[in-house]
Amino acid sequence: MPAIEIKNLYKSFGTLQVLRGVSLKVAEGEFFGLFGANGAGKTTLLRVITGQLSADSGEAYIAGIPCTNPMSIKRVVGIVPEAESPPTFLTTRETLELVCRIRRLEGMPDRIDKWLKFFDLNDKADVLCRDLSKGQKQKLILASAFIHEPKLLLLDEAFINLDPIYQRQLREYMKGVVEEGRTIFMCTHILEIAEKVCTRVAVIDGGRIVAQGTIPELRMKEGEGLEEIFIRAVEGSNHEP
Amino acid sequence: MIKEEWRLQKSLIGGLGSGLFPLLIFGLTAFCALISPLLLKSIDVSTVLLLLHIAILFYGLFVGGLGSLGESIMTRRLGQVNMLLQLPQTLPVSFRRVMAIFYLKDASFYLIYTFIPLLLGGVLAIPYVGVTMRGIAMLGVTLFITFMMGMGLSFALSALPGKSRPGSLLTVLLLIVLCLLAYPFKIIKPYQLLLPLGYWFDRQLYWLASGILTAILFAMIGTLLVKERYELQARKYEESFLSFDRKFSIFGGLRPLVAKEWLELERSGSIGSAIGMYAIHLIAVYALSWLFQNGFGMPLDFNVVFFGGFVGFMGVLTYSFLTGMEQNEYLNVIPVTVEMVVKAKLCVYFLLTSGVTVGYVFLIGLLKGEITLLPLSLAIAACTSIYVVAVTAYLTGLWTNTMFFGAGTMIRFAAFVVPPITAIEVGSLIIPYNFGFALEIIATAAMFAIILSIILLRRLDKKWSRRTFSSTSFNS
Repeated sequence: MPAIEIKNLYKSFGTLQVLRGVSLKVAEGEFFGLFGANGAGKTTLLRVITGQLSADSGEAYIAGIPCTNPMSIKRVVGIVPEAESPPTFLTTRETLELVCRIRRLEGMPDRIDKWLKFFDLNDKADVLCRDLSKGQKQKLILASAFIHEPKLLLLDEAFINLDPIYQRQLREYMKGVVEEGRTIFMCTHILEIAEKVCTRVAVIDGGRIVAQGTIPELRMKEGEGLEEIFIRAVEGSNHEP
Repeated sequence: MIKEEWRLQKSLIGGLGSGLFPLLIFGLTAFCALISPLLLKSIDVSTVLLLLHIAILFYGLFVGGLGSLGESIMTRRLGQVNMLLQLPQTLPVSFRRVMAIFYLKDASFYLIYTFIPLLLGGVLAIPYVGVTMRGIAMLGVTLFITFMMGMGLSFALSALPGKSRPGSLLTVLLLIVLCLLAYPFKIIKPYQLLLPLGYWFDRQLYWLASGILTAILFAMIGTLLVKERYELQARKYEESFLSFDRKFSIFGGLRPLVAKEWLELERSGSIGSAIGMYAIHLIAVYALSWLFQNGFGMPLDFNVVFFGGFVGFMGVLTYSFLTGMEQNEYLNVIPVTVEMVVKAKLCVYFLLTSGVTVGYVFLIGLLKGEITLLPLSLAIAACTSIYVVAVTAYLTGLWTNTMFFGAGTMIRFAAFVVPPITAIEVGSLIIPYNFGFALEIIATAAMFAIILSIILLRRLDKKWSRRTFSSTSFNS
């Protein structure tokens, strides 16, 4: 069973067609990167397949669960949304406690201590979320998504607002996740990071998948980087207005 | 800034609601002005003027209080991106100056939004009630100065605790003493506190001047006491979530969400505001009934069961307040549904209001000497509270501020709520004449309301299952 299976997915907002027949398969244990320019449809695709938005047509399954069942999906996956917005008047520690209590996780204190330490948030544990910096909020959102150690992580611009040290730390953690046989699906437009970690990639443009495969498969010549692959794929697509 | 205020109003109560408000004021004022000859037969002019000025003073206090409350709401909803109030962080302007401008903006906005429609409503009645244009204009002036005094006082009182909590407490005590000296002790005259009202007794302009000076003085005190806040403070709190989670074990699977809601209300300082707002609305219902009985001389006996029946209506505002205070979008990524959060908010609503409801009904029972009717009245208060809030939650979910004012929602709300509540209120009025028959009507209506409440609460899941926590998109 694939970790993610998307079949001919369409989504529009009024007259704006955002997804146009997207089809993808992500196998278990893959680190899959979805690239696209701003407004290409990455976030909408992530929101549709996790049931945060309904599709106009098409199907999507996450760990075999249809995207029309968002509660079941949210129970088994970890999702990092694009915009960080933890609860205003809870502290960092309390936010993680809330997530643990809702997910009914055992060993809550150990889990919380582990992630506070991982993201160096110990001295911010008792600070209200509204008073955290953008980077600290992003770390908290990441910790909230990782705390139940899900088999599948769906990340939307996970590296945004993180300094280079934590970008590297997060990258290493994600590599470890994939080595354990778990799956990561990451939407991003930061190609340098993706190039270092993704085992397979797809390029989305104008709501369509215009290229997909492993990086060597997508290379047209030796030494071609992801940036060149991305630009070629986008320029080569002739999407309708 | 006026444009920003208009957009804020629209975002809180919707475009239609915002647009209709001045029309509502105009219509109500015209109606009151037209029926004023009837009113003046049973109540003298000085009492009408006194009541009008007191009402407007409270309106000013409410608007001034809403300024600080609105800031906390915006801060919760938008984090630190608090529009113009956050200007001092990015531009060379003091917070004090921004607050002063903000205060003037509020005054200008409410002058246009409320007082001009109010005056126009009064003008419409000139040909029918024998008052002059000058009289209406002067009434507008004295009311507006009173409004500014209320707003200024509220502004000063909200800034005072930041400088000195004992000072703030002493000021409130002093104000209570002054009010008690005016009523019931009658040692000072009401117009010696409500200065613009004095104009109507001797037509001297110094009453207006002293009112204006007092309003300016209050506003200046408020502005000077405002803390400069160039830097954001990182506020630390000891861990409390788990202890609240344990305390609310009665709510079963909802307890983490109830604990979160309660903790957020407590830390944002909104518990007092929510309870106070609910209590003020209940008191306003009592004041209105007093006006109908004593002002209009209506031969109706509003007993304690009648007031119990009215309690539910006031719950709509409190529930709306609870749903409007916060963005919930982060809940989209954890296993929580809209229905669960709605139910958690309903639990918090009952935690906040139950004590006030019981106290209110009990107090009215005592005041009216209707102790024997108290059990029935308390049961009806509980029933209408549950019913009206269940209907509101079912129809509007977590978006009461905007959805409630949609025409379709309002019609459905009225269709759900008006028949059983009307039956209960009519039944309460029959009690002195035929207790048995009244009880039959009330019990039938209450039973209907309870059964429907259970059905609506059970259907919350179905109703909101396709909706996400996003404030902008419908997922259907």
